[in-house]
Amino acid sequence: MGLKEDRVVPGREDRVAACMAYGGSACSIGGESKACLKNSERGFSQAGICQLLPTLGMLLTLPDIAVIIHGAIGCGSAGFGMNVSIRLHHLLRGNPNAKDSLWFSTNLDEADVVHGGEQRLEETILTVNERYKPKSIVVVQTCTPSIIGDDLVGVVEKVRPLVEANILYAHCEGFKTKVWATGYDVAFHAMIHGYIEKDKEGPPPRKAPWQPGQRPTVNVINLASVGKPDEEEIERLLNAIGIDVTIGPNFADREKVRQLTQADLTVSICPTHDDYLVDYLHTEYGIPFVLKDMPIGLENTRNWLLDIAGKFGLEKEALALIEAEEARARTAVERFLPVLKGIRVFLSAGEFRALVTGGLFQELGMEIVGVRSYHHDEFGTDFYGRLVNGQQGKDFPVDIANFQPFELVNLLQQVKPDLFAGHIWDNAWAARLGYPTITIFRIFDYYVGYRGFYEVAKKAARILRNHSFNANLSRNVTDAYRPEWYEQNAFKYIKSGLPEGLQSDTAAV
Amino acid sequence: MSTFIERPRYQCALGGALVTINAIERAVAIVHASPGCAAAADGAAAFGGGYWGSTVHDGRATPSSNIVEREVIFGGEERLAEQISATLDVVDADLYAVITGCMTDIIGDDVRSVVNEFRRQGKPVIVAETGGFKGNSTVGYEFLWDALINQFVSKGLPKKDRLVNIFGVLPVQDVFWRGNLLELKRLLSAIGIEANTFVTPFDDTASLKNASQAALSIVLSDVHGQKAAALFEEVHGVPYITESLPFGPTATERFLRRIAELFNISSAKLNRVLKEERRHYYQFINPLTDLFTDQDFQRFGVVIGNANYAYAVSRFIADDLGWIPYFAAITDILDEQQQAAVLARFATIPEQARPKVIFETDTSRIRERLFAELEKENDPYGTPISPAFVIGSNLDRPLAADLKAGFWGVSYPITNRVVTDQGYLGYRGGLRLATEVVSALVSNR
Repeated sequence: MGLKEDRVVPGREDRVAACMAYGGSACSIGGESKACLKNSERGFSQAGICQLLPTLGMLLTLPDIAVIIHGAIGCGSAGFGMNVSIRLHHLLRGNPNAKDSLWFSTNLDEADVVHGGEQRLEETILTVNERYKPKSIVVVQTCTPSIIGDDLVGVVEKVRPLVEANILYAHCEGFKTKVWATGYDVAFHAMIHGYIEKDKEGPPPRKAPWQPGQRPTVNVINLASVGKPDEEEIERLLNAIGIDVTIGPNFADREKVRQLTQADLTVSICPTHDDYLVDYLHTEYGIPFVLKDMPIGLENTRNWLLDIAGKFGLEKEALALIEAEEARARTAVERFLPVLKGIRVFLSAGEFRALVTGGLFQELGMEIVGVRSYHHDEFGTDFYGRLVNGQQGKDFPVDIANFQPFELVNLLQQVKPDLFAGHIWDNAWAARLGYPTITIFRIFDYYVGYRGFYEVAKKAARILRNHSFNANLSRNVTDAYRPEWYEQNAFKYIKSGLPEGLQSDTAAV
Repeated sequence: MSTFIERPRYQCALGGALVTINAIERAVAIVHASPGCAAAADGAAAFGGGYWGSTVHDGRATPSSNIVEREVIFGGEERLAEQISATLDVVDADLYAVITGCMTDIIGDDVRSVVNEFRRQGKPVIVAETGGFKGNSTVGYEFLWDALINQFVSKGLPKKDRLVNIFGVLPVQDVFWRGNLLELKRLLSAIGIEANTFVTPFDDTASLKNASQAALSIVLSDVHGQKAAALFEEVHGVPYITESLPFGPTATERFLRRIAELFNISSAKLNRVLKEERRHYYQFINPLTDLFTDQDFQRFGVVIGNANYAYAVSRFIADDLGWIPYFAAITDILDEQQQAAVLARFATIPEQARPKVIFETDTSRIRERLFAELEKENDPYGTPISPAFVIGSNLDRPLAADLKAGFWGVSYPITNRVVTDQGYLGYRGGLRLATEVVSALVSNR
């Protein structure tokens, strides 16, 4: 099965054996059984997110789209935050007058829970099409209509011939998967089916394979955590070795999404984000792919660029560029190295992002003393080992947690890092403990490539120079947890996924 | 019967209950729901609520059972019991409120039995079934208060003559709830009345526990918190009155006079407070007079927001700024009786300053209905309400641009500024609102 055949996108615990709960170390995680990892869970948990949120975050970026959230009134209420993020993305793209995102709730109430919501959904699609005349409509299935048995696809196919707009649909019920990164797959599924597989013109034909001598065009799959500056850096590097770039599918219209099928190569900048789409383009359109690295840090950027160049016989050009760029970047960061040397860093983000950023910090002479990854899958496994090797075999704790700040604060108080680098919504927990923090992504700044290497170094040096905001804060806020919590194992509430009875034996082995 | 709603300006029942618990110091929610429910509700508050982020027990730290398919099929009661027990062990709080989402309500988990087990052991745990399909933030606020009133507030305490409870100001739905309530507390205190406001960072769970000592509840809304106050009367024998939010000198004086009369506050004391507050307002307004009059800063007002704000802001711009309220759009979901109460409130505005009132949830329909009204004016130059000023939410900025009108956002959602202790209640709140809208008029200079 794959994106084309999947009627409903499978949860990532099933598709890639993703794990959401693990407490151990960088050296231990690679040796764990996959089945055990994917089934482990928590006896105490804090709010995660569900797959609806990333799905919504991606689909709302599509231009001139109306998103219909089929469900109770609150499921789309995070739309205001997504609208903020999308506005800022547009601003960076030189489009300050972009319209606000448009979404609707079918607002299912108690009567609908009894009688079903299909009719409401149908009316909503037809009315939205007529009143707002969007180019595309996407219908999003949430928990409540799913459990009461609403046939979303049935309704969509019934009205499809009646409306001008392209209709996309997405099944992203929160209760269906623990792994919210499944939401990326769901959004890709919606875009591909809406604009290609079920498009009125049908799928575009296959393009002839690339021939030596042609200037290649590659797809670069973008994501919400990569802003315009990073896209520019990626484009700059690939252009410099003679490669043209199509960036999508976020912020892409129908034509651009269809254009993705006409590339010579698909390039991922975050394997764990993109594999489902990359596989579709490969299987259905024969487009080869690069799905291994994220171009953050010098070594990762080097590997990433050489991989891409190798597909088109451009290794020589790539090497020349890499040598020149590395030399320039190394010189540029020299002034920050004395401040950064030996700084002990704790990282927290999506697994891949956290790990490659760790590599960047090591290249600046810093040491990794802990990683919290939102989930774990095979794409990350090798990178834990690489980080350990990168610091003379020094191991560090690893927490696989969809947030769970109670584990994080416990770990931080044991590890006591000099610097915390976290995804948005992570930094505050470390800041309140007084640790200097830098955000691991912000759409305004550079993180990838050579410019990113320099900017991250500069950012870290800047925050280490003065973190009085956090330091003062830590003396003036109360703690959420009982003092005894800090004396216990941070992973106390993680239950192994092995059947009971086997647990202790296996742990001893 | 409900219909679809464009960009709803509220959260679901779970969201309304969640942000209310989050606003109570040392209270923590235990969300028994799918993994994204708390995050969606919290995300709405974090952005739409003027960047009300996490404090300590909330945001990503909100305890949540995160039930998935297995619990949906086999039931989530065992998981909930495990979660409550662990939360009591790990999280330091005075009050633990279990609130539920759509899935747990639909599959019919007996959450009350689970919670009662802990209550029997003397643990401060309460429960409210707040499945999102039961309604919006207001419904959730009322459900949570039902739980607090029946399961947390102490019964049979002796009354205190000059203690009041405040209802009807919903955290996040009123983005300025903290500033508004703190100013209300300050003003009431100045005339000798103590107020339990419950949801500011300076209230505590002890005042909640002892709220049955109050002599009176004041509901600052014709529609929000009415059920809570009525239930409070039923369970704890505390009568209630309904008032509108007093923004600015005129409304605040009227409000304080009514309260002073109910509590037999001496007129000398009351007048001294009114005089001081009025003086504060006019000592700052006076120097703006050149600007205000020379630049002809009177505007036709278009006010969009929930019932509380649409009225309070319309009233302020009419009474104190001397503007012409033209149109007020109420974005709440209201039944006929509630709509009648809101209309009756608007009817108290003198006719020459009374706006046309509509009830409309959808931003683009508000625009259509306003433009239909403008069409009816039959203005030869097509600009019947120029110069206009829109006071609404961030969703209403495009409307202001279309009208070539000034704009200021005071209603949920507010995403383009940060809200801390600001508020519009009282004389000082009125001064703030005046300052802000006049600032908007000079912001291009």
